[in-house]
Amino acid sequence: MIQIMASVFWLLAIPFGIGLIPVHFLSERKKNPGITLLAGYLLMWAVFEVITVPAVLWIKYDNFQFVLRIFTAAAMLFAAAGIVVRYLGIARERSRNMYAKPLISYEKEYRPGIEAKTEWALFFIIVGFSLYMAVTRASFDGDDAYYVVQSLMAQQNGSMYKNLPYTGRSASLDVRHALAVFPMWIAFVAVQADLHATIVSHVVMPLILMPLTYLVFYEIAKILFAEKKENIPVFMIVMALFQLFGNVSIYTNETFFLTRTWQGKSVAGSFVIPMVFLLLLWIFDEKRKKGQDACFWIMLVCLHLTAGMCSSISVFLLVILLAVSAFCLMIVKRDIKAPLMLGATCIPSALYVLLYLLIK
Amino acid sequence: MWGIFLESLVIFQNYVGFHQYRFLFVIYLVCLLYLWVAEKKKSFRAIFVYTPTILLLCFFNPLFRKAFVALLDDAETYYRLLWLLQMSMVSAYGAVKLFGRFRKTGLIVTGAAIVLCGSLVYRSEHITRAQNWYHLPAEAVEVADILKPAEGRVMAIVPADLVYYIRQYETAINMPYGREMLIARWDYYNDLYEAMERAEVIETASFTELTRNYGCDYVVLKKDRAVEEPLTDFGFILYAQTDNYLIYQDTEAGEQAGTGR
Repeated sequence: MIQIMASVFWLLAIPFGIGLIPVHFLSERKKNPGITLLAGYLLMWAVFEVITVPAVLWIKYDNFQFVLRIFTAAAMLFAAAGIVVRYLGIARERSRNMYAKPLISYEKEYRPGIEAKTEWALFFIIVGFSLYMAVTRASFDGDDAYYVVQSLMAQQNGSMYKNLPYTGRSASLDVRHALAVFPMWIAFVAVQADLHATIVSHVVMPLILMPLTYLVFYEIAKILFAEKKENIPVFMIVMALFQLFGNVSIYTNETFFLTRTWQGKSVAGSFVIPMVFLLLLWIFDEKRKKGQDACFWIMLVCLHLTAGMCSSISVFLLVILLAVSAFCLMIVKRDIKAPLMLGATCIPSALYVLLYLLIK
Repeated sequence: MWGIFLESLVIFQNYVGFHQYRFLFVIYLVCLLYLWVAEKKKSFRAIFVYTPTILLLCFFNPLFRKAFVALLDDAETYYRLLWLLQMSMVSAYGAVKLFGRFRKTGLIVTGAAIVLCGSLVYRSEHITRAQNWYHLPAEAVEVADILKPAEGRVMAIVPADLVYYIRQYETAINMPYGREMLIARWDYYNDLYEAMERAEVIETASFTELTRNYGCDYVVLKKDRAVEEPLTDFGFILYAQTDNYLIYQDTEAGEQAGTGR
């Protein structure tokens, strides 16, 4: 029971609290608990990457113990700051109204009929089935011998990337993997929840990462079908079916999503990349008022750090995607400023690559 | 250049399951084409039409592939560029838009097309009913529990089918070699692995000499593994057994390392 409560605290309450900080900068119409949680995860993972990478590179002994202490304090502090921002006047009247809105903000003006309700029910059945299968089915993947063992070594030995996961022998730093510290975040959750890191990887992570991904899809759907809201559940069902039946090869991001949910590369394919689409849709929303929402730019910067936390390659993928999107948006919108700002958000990724090249 | 293009084509075919007669990518291409014609909103058009199209062209562009591989020093992960296309999202958006007002019919048609053209992930041979919360084979956990030292570390050599799992359960169990030996294309060599897995019959004398050189406290063998002479003739004791495995302890190595049970 305590383990479940600790998991809920570190996987829902803390990210939600942290998310209140960036969401403070969001315009009223875009605020909702879903965005708060997504923003919280991005900021939390970015902070984790910033704390953990230097620890991996420059602290010789018990570096995971160091991360455990510092990140616990930092996460608590950020979440507390979020609550302070929300409740103690900094947010003032504007953010106080936030929870007057329902979770699904369009419900006010749009009441789904029986057909839409049935479609939503169907969607939740599909997602519920996926979650049930994630818990009751074991998915074999050879890479677990690397990533899951890295998490477990950190939990059981208190140090990161000092030993070869396959054998346990001492090893020189494997820079490519050491900069992508997603397994260390899993180890962090495992320690805080007092659960074996392998159980956290294989059981707990799918239960949080899969709904989180669907939350991104849902936010995207809200923008795509802002004027035809009855299409949102249909879009979600098609997305969910695509995930279920997307196992056309072992390479697709859909396959990774459901069979290797806990691995950083899967998070990159299923969460980080769709998140880019979402942020681009938010940032270039044609209905937006003149002043851009600072929240989205903060989230985009954090997304770069999150990509670095997931895998080294996802940093490159993110930059490629942003570069191509920025180019296309520049052409169609005849606006050079926003694409330039997109370029500026790539600074964390550029530093990541520089660091990689320096210590390789 | 033509060769590189063909390589990219093969990667694409493998990615979309072309040779397994999976045609989800056809749904994607139809939806993308439809969005080319029907999408009017500028930002949506840039994000859901132009960007995937350019990325697809980049993917097949030999120069782009050369630059990508040179930059990352890794040709094996080129397929991940296709993740940027977000085939499911573009397809779902295109399909829902295509069917417009006839969303119930559209949902049935699209759903049926996905089921027919795709492959249910849970039919994968890699997915089995979980035997415990760790999602590891129960017998691997049983073996690891036997090997697990009260304190310190032990070195154990285990059969290939346990190699992936033992350290996912307990990292105090070191192994002389690991998963790296099981991936043929990585082309590693380990003399103990050769003696343990490649030899038709384990030559006990040379094998035990190697296990001692590597400091193995335990040797785990499959019950049906052919052995020239019993390990018990070479200073090992049968420490424990499970349904399919025999666990031998090297008493000499255990004393040497001082970490055995």
